[in-house]
Order: sequence, then structure tokens, then C-alpha cells
Amino acid sequence: MSRTIPIILNQTIACAFVALICLSFSSAAMAQDTAPPQPSSDYVSRAEYDKLKAEHEAMKQELDALKATVQQMTAGAVPAPVEAPTAKKGVSEEKQVVTVPPEAATEELRQEVETLKTQVKETFPGTTKFLLGGYGTAGFTARSGEDPFFDAAFNAIFLFKMTDRLFFEGELEFEFEDNETTTNLEIAQASYLLNDYMTIGVGRFLNPTNFFVERQHMNWVNKLPDKPLAVYDGLLPESELGGQLRGVIPIGPTKLEYAAFVANAPGLITESDDFSEIGMLDFDNDANFGGHVAVGGHVGFIPIPQLEIGYGIQRSKVGPRDRAVQNILQSADFNFVADSALLKGLINARAQWVWSHVGDFVYDPDGSQGFGPLEFNNNRNGGYAQLSYRPTHIDDDYLKNVEGVFRYDRFNQLHTPVGFDEQRWTIGLNYWVTPSAVLKLAYEFDDKNGGARDQDAFLMQAAVGF
Amino acid sequence: MKRVVVRTCKWIGLPGATIVISCAALTWLIGCATNKPSGEVAAGTTGKSGAQLWAENCVRCHNIRSPGSLSPAQWEVAMMHMRVRANLTPEEHKKILEFLKSGS
Ligand code: HEC
Repeated sequence: MSRTIPIILNQTIACAFVALICLSFSSAAMAQDTAPPQPSSDYVSRAEYDKLKAEHEAMKQELDALKATVQQMTAGAVPAPVEAPTAKKGVSEEKQVVTVPPEAATEELRQEVETLKTQVKETFPGTTKFLLGGYGTAGFTARSGEDPFFDAAFNAIFLFKMTDRLFFEGELEFEFEDNETTTNLEIAQASYLLNDYMTIGVGRFLNPTNFFVERQHMNWVNKLPDKPLAVYDGLLPESELGGQLRGVIPIGPTKLEYAAFVANAPGLITESDDFSEIGMLDFDNDANFGGHVAVGGHVGFIPIPQLEIGYGIQRSKVGPRDRAVQNILQSADFNFVADSALLKGLINARAQWVWSHVGDFVYDPDGSQGFGPLEFNNNRNGGYAQLSYRPTHIDDDYLKNVEGVFRYDRFNQLHTPVGFDEQRWTIGLNYWVTPSAVLKLAYEFDDKNGGARDQDAFLMQAAVGF
Repeated sequence: MKRVVVRTCKWIGLPGATIVISCAALTWLIGCATNKPSGEVAAGTTGKSGAQLWAENCVRCHNIRSPGSLSPAQWEVAMMHMRVRANLTPEEHKKILEFLKSGS
């Protein structure tokens, strides 16, 4: 609807414009027919008459050229020829039209129409500064040893461009899983462009140290139905609550991206019914239990547009104030995306590895939880490497939307209360209905050590980004 | 300092180290293979058209959407979002936005 109105308006404007030209043209033609060889009144002298005649001859020639141009235009750009009114017009008006060279008139008309088109589109109410984006997902998971299940989610993203410098984004996630609908405020961030290369953001924002979370986890972007171990819902927070400064520095032909932030620190899980959680971090520490502040950042180097390598780190104290210990989270990422003429398609190679360190801490010091006192430092790591290919250059309309994906992911945590390492090999087949709508099928081979059970899985997902 | 290095190596572990090293090697190889003096594959933007910058930048994280998929006003908002999320330079932002608006 919002797109048809400007089109109709554009057409109307174009019609009106041509009508104006036709009108001038026809009145010029009439003047030609009716101009008497003799002056019809005493008010015109002989000299004036001769001058007028000479002008008239010149106009006649220019009119012929203009006539041709108008005919061309009515044939090409305007839907219906407009009936020209036949009212007689004064000579001065003819002169005004015919003194414009035809090429210039066409160009002027084109520009005028272009300007009006843009103006009409830009003033259309409600769309200037707001965009509702987001994505919807429906999925199915059958994992060995577990009941198969369907799930569905809807993420709505509200984007507001307040001024050329001020921007707000809010994301709400509605998820339906295990007979329950959950709502989460994933993002609520105001960004301000301080200058060309620096943007400040405050609120809840996606963790800039975590490449996958900030740029890949959305279901219409992520190439497999599930997310890599350790990187997502693992060792790094998905979002941070605080402030960030970010931007890009062009260095010759290369670019250096940076982001630095201060945020609430994670909480340290010291008590839980599930022993395997002891010593892990609680990233939903919105109340900032412990009162610590985390400081972190990420740098990404882009030597050529196809390649980006990055490193991120976050440091803070975690745990109760009087017994706080050091926490360091690190991430290294590699991303290569190339459109290859040789391979007739788009290649995507991505990898990310993350490390989490929690310093020595004494858990259950008085033995009241039944396993302490137990002292350990918690070091875990994991990540993924993924390769995908889509033959975008081949002629077949269906085949060029098909994409093959392979991913290896791993989580090392044998020597922690979790007690096992896990690695998976996943193969996936996707069909892209549009650039942001996809159907995904995948099979996952699972391998755990430490006596834990391997759980292969069959996964399906449909995702639409808008 | 030594302790930190030893600890860091411990956390990295073998698979982590393998991935980091292979990525570094691949980066270096790609860098060498594409290091053409003409600058046609360089990440720098100066002199590149809006269409070229669009094709190069907007495919890095997700599939590219056609200019016609949003109205000019909507592109203005989406491109501001991407400017912040994808750390676009002002030149990239301006030229790509112009290109998208003209094609929408
Ligand atoms: C650094 C990665 C990255 C790059 C580069 C990138 N995008 Fe995005 N884009 C994203 C992510 C991530 C989202 C999803 C945002 C979300 O869900 O929070 C997105 C969403 C979008 C959307 C959906 C609407 C919205 O704003 O959420 C459009 C349209 C879009 N991008 C266009 C572009 C264009 C045009 C370019 C080229 C200038 C581009 N993107 C470059 C990561 C990127």
C-alpha cells in the first residue's frame, strides 16, 4: 500500500506535466493557424509585426523538435495521452515554452519527476523513521534418548531512527517451548554517532566480543537449525547491560573494527540443585549480584572485504564481594565469505573458539550443600568451524537456492563438575526461498567422553527474516 | 607473566590451538593470494561505487536483499542499524544508502 500510493502519485505528476506541455504545444499550434498576416489592430506597428514574424519562424522550428520529444515521451513513460484544452493563449506564454531547448526540457522534466518521486516517498507518514524487523522460526528436534519436540519463536525488532545520529533498537523474543510461552527483552539499546568513526551505545546490547551472537545467531542468518556448542548459550554472555563505544578505522585499503564496553559482571553459581552447574557463570545477572563491573572489547581486522579475523576479551571479578575471584572470557573468530566464479557460487567459512577462566574458589565451604569444601578453578573452552556452499551462479532456478553446510563443534569441560567433553559433526541441507527465508534440514553426529551418552539428532527448521 | 602464558596455553587446548593456527595460516594464504597491486580487491572504499560497496559489504554476514525489498524510507532506518551493527564507514553508509534508495 505504502508503495503503490507514491507510484500513482508519480504517474499523476508525470501526466500533469505532459498535459502542460501538450497544452502549450496546442496553443502554439493554434497561434500559428490564427496569426493573421496583417495586423488586426492599431496597437501593433509594422516593426513589431516583423519582429513577431521572425520570432514566430524560429518558434516553429523549435516546436517541431519539441513535438518529436513529447511524442517519444508519451509513447514511453506516460500511461494515457492527455486531452489538451483548446483555449487560446497569449504569445508570451508560447514563447516561455518554446524557448527551452527540447533536450533540456526532457532532462528538466526527468529531474523534476525524480525529485517529486523522492519527496513524495520521503514525506509518506509513518515510514520515515521506524522499521519493524525481526524473524519467525518453527523447528523440530529428534534427539536420541529424548522425546522429539516442535518449537516456535518470534523475534520482533523495533528500529527507530530519531535523527541522523540517534538510533534506538529494541528486540523482544517470544518463544513457545515445552508448553510455555516466554518473553525476553533481548536488546534495548540507544546508539549515538559521536563522529564518523565512533558510536556510543547504552542499554542492553548483544555481546560485541561474541561474533556469532552479535552477527550470526539469528535464525534467518545462522545456516544450521541449532547453534554451536560453547559459543552460544555456553561460555560467553549473549548480551551485556551497560555501555559500549564502537566503530571502524579505515587503514589504507584495510579496515579495523573495534568495540569496548563496561557492563554488569556475570554472577558465579555457588549453589545449585544441579551439581554440574557449580562454578559456572550466570549471565542473567541483571541485579548485578556481587556488584562487580566487567570490562571488555573486540577488535576485528578486515584486510580484504571477504575476510575478517577478530579477537575479543572480557574481564571482571565474580562471586561474593568478600571472596571474589578473577574471570576472563576470550574469543577468537575467523570469517571468510567469497563469491567464487570458479566454484560458481558463494562460499562461507566461519570459525570461532572461546575460553572461559574462573579463578580458584572454595565452593560449599561449610559442607552444608553436601559436597564441600571443594576448591577448584574452572577452565573451559570450545567452539566451532563451519563451511557452507551455495551454487548461486548456476542456471537452474532451484539448484541455485540449495545450500550445503558442514559444521564441527566442540565443548571441553571434562575436568569440571560437568565431567565430559563433547564434539559433534553436523551436515545440513538448506533451501533458500528468498534471501531471508529458509528451510533447513540437518543431521548431527554426537560424541561425548567421560561416560556420557552420545546423542545423535535430526533437526528441521523454517525461518523467515523480515 | 610466564604464569599467564602457561595458563593461556592450557586453556586453549589442542582443538582450539589447531583451529586458531589453521585460521591464521588461511588468513595469511588468502592475504598473499589476493594481494593485487591494482587494489581491486582491497577493503578500502575510496573510489568504489555504491553498488560495488553494497555487493562487497552486505554479503559478509547474511544473504543480500534486493534494493526493491524495502522502501527508501525503510532503507534509511535499516542502513543506520547496519552502520552501527556492521561498523560501516561514513562513505560506505552514504554510497550504499544512495544505491539502495535509487533502486527501491
Ligand atoms: C557485521 C555483519 C553484518 C553486515 C556486514 C551487514 N549486516 Fe545486515 N544484519 C546483520 C544482523 C546480525 C542482522 C539482524 C539484526 C538483528 O536481528 O538484531 C541484520 C539485519 C539486516 C536487515 C533486516 C532489518 C534490520 O535492520 O534488522 C537488513 C535489511 C540488512 N541487515 C541489510 C544489510 C545491508 C544493506 C548491509 C550492507 C551495508 C548489511 N545488512 C550488512 C548483520 C550484518
